Amino acid sequence: MSRCPFGTSRTRRFIPWASISIPGIGWLLFGLYPSLATIVYSFTQYSGLPGTPVNFCGFCNYTNGFTALWGELWPAIKTTLIYVAGVTILQNAIGLGLAMLMNRPGRSYTFYRALIFMPQIFSVAVVGTTFALILDPITGPAENAWHGIFHSTSAFLGDNTLALPLVMAVNIWMFSGYSMLIYIAGLRNIPKPVYEAAALDGAGKWRVFRHVTWPLLAPATTVNVFLTAMGTLGEYALILVLTGGNFGTKTLGLYMYDSAFGSNAQLGYGSMLAILQFGLTLVIGGGLLWALRRREIQL
Amino acid sequence: MSGTTAMAALADQGPHAPAQNPRRQLKQPSRVARLARLSGRQLLCFVIAAFVFAAPLVYLFLQSFKTFTGFLQDPTGSPHPWTKQNFSDAWSVGDFGREMINSLIYAVIPVTITLTLGVFLAFPISRGWFRHSNVLYSFFIFSGFLPGGLIPLFIEARALHLYNSMPGYLLMVSLSGAGFFFFVGYIKGIPKEIDEAAALDGCGYIRFIFRIVIPQMKPALATFAIFGFVGSWNNLILPLVMLSDKSLWPVTRGLYSFFGENTQNWPLIAAGTFIVAAPILLLFILLQRFLVEGVAGGAAFGTQGVTKAAADQGDAE
Repeated sequence: MSRCPFGTSRTRRFIPWASISIPGIGWLLFGLYPSLATIVYSFTQYSGLPGTPVNFCGFCNYTNGFTALWGELWPAIKTTLIYVAGVTILQNAIGLGLAMLMNRPGRSYTFYRALIFMPQIFSVAVVGTTFALILDPITGPAENAWHGIFHSTSAFLGDNTLALPLVMAVNIWMFSGYSMLIYIAGLRNIPKPVYEAAALDGAGKWRVFRHVTWPLLAPATTVNVFLTAMGTLGEYALILVLTGGNFGTKTLGLYMYDSAFGSNAQLGYGSMLAILQFGLTLVIGGGLLWALRRREIQL
Repeated sequence: MSGTTAMAALADQGPHAPAQNPRRQLKQPSRVARLARLSGRQLLCFVIAAFVFAAPLVYLFLQSFKTFTGFLQDPTGSPHPWTKQNFSDAWSVGDFGREMINSLIYAVIPVTITLTLGVFLAFPISRGWFRHSNVLYSFFIFSGFLPGGLIPLFIEARALHLYNSMPGYLLMVSLSGAGFFFFVGYIKGIPKEIDEAAALDGCGYIRFIFRIVIPQMKPALATFAIFGFVGSWNNLILPLVMLSDKSLWPVTRGLYSFFGENTQNWPLIAAGTFIVAAPILLLFILLQRFLVEGVAGGAAFGTQGVTKAAADQGDAE
């Protein structure tokens, strides 16, 4: 602990506290308190309508969710798991492929990388609207292509089986540039002599990738998989714009949003869902970190 | 059009090829084959970048120049009678002018306040002026792993009369703490001797922060300012939850409703979407290299911190 050199001998002790007071109080009020209060509200029956009481009811929301409303909760959990697994795997595969292709010097490649990166700087409102236009079942170009290939029509984002894969695809489209950049950073960290040695040993392209590039990319893979999984778990704004959570696309996050701010608001139940999502994040995040670190050591 | 761009892209590679020693070229499979492979890769990369990643936005942009009847006659083709009418219509119908100003306010003011207060929070912690500065720092970091507090924030906002009010929204966004502690590491790089010298010369603390520390932190502040700006501009959920009056909406919230109200008038929606995206697109074009590198560096750096912190936590248990 060192001492603050500013101020007179009397004010010296208070300057550090004064310095952190405003941001500290702000953070307590609007950062820490809401987070912790979610736990408390998850044990209450509170609709959120002005003037209604906040009744503590123990685990009522939890038991409610796992019994009476299980028919809503389980699909949301299932959708979340499919969404997270699918996006994480595909976005990483695509990001890695793009990185292998685009990790080249030259202005044209810089331009391509910028184009691939671009989608994620736009709001989900912009990206969602763009794809709603493209996937419009009557006037969209996707409809043209679909009709050309299958000679039938599809509702796309209004189709119970297609909606979820399509939303996932839009999510991947939006963020694979991010994965690509992390993989490129990883590729650039691999020392050149390793490749030279592999070439001297007569290793072919696939073997170089399998036995040199892939193991040495392990740190980048860890970062990428972890970040994608965590980011996707909390994501619901894009789904809200694209489908509103209909047609089998309601993830836990969107279910929470709907329960709290939808037509039939139940803030207590919504808080319980936020806690469930937090639990899921902890389990998946912890599991991934454990598995990825073990894998890094083994490689 | 795509052909010429591909050619221009290929021209980049031109000067490298003839620089090779002619004798070595004989050993290579064939110069033509190599060039073909090279341009094949170029072509593939171009096709991916342009037709997968850029095309949806270009398509949207093209649609916005169609008349509604022109769109209905040929929904997927290029605009037949070109019109700029949609942009002015969307601007007036969607009230994007006012919303644009709101968005600007919601993006600039909180970012400025967050960054300034962030320095005031980070400085004493970074200098170790508290008995448990390290504990405080870890605590800030781990609070980021707590459950999302959107619902209690909404209840709190209503209780404190911050709901559906511009100052209230600004207050919440400015103080909610994102980015507060990111500067701690950066400040450690500023030598402590400067503090003591300034204090000896009778420089007050606040003046010291504004005159000495903040100028030294320009690169870090610039990075966070830009990402903070883009993040605030793009935010959709918080305005959806906290702002019910149309006059208070930012552009993203406006677009979300505009999209719902004008279903099927795609040229109009496309124009509105483009208006909302344009400022960010402009920012991207201007700061493209900075943004792309910032994200790559930030992500690599950020997660190093996160994974390491989480691993340390795991070890401690």
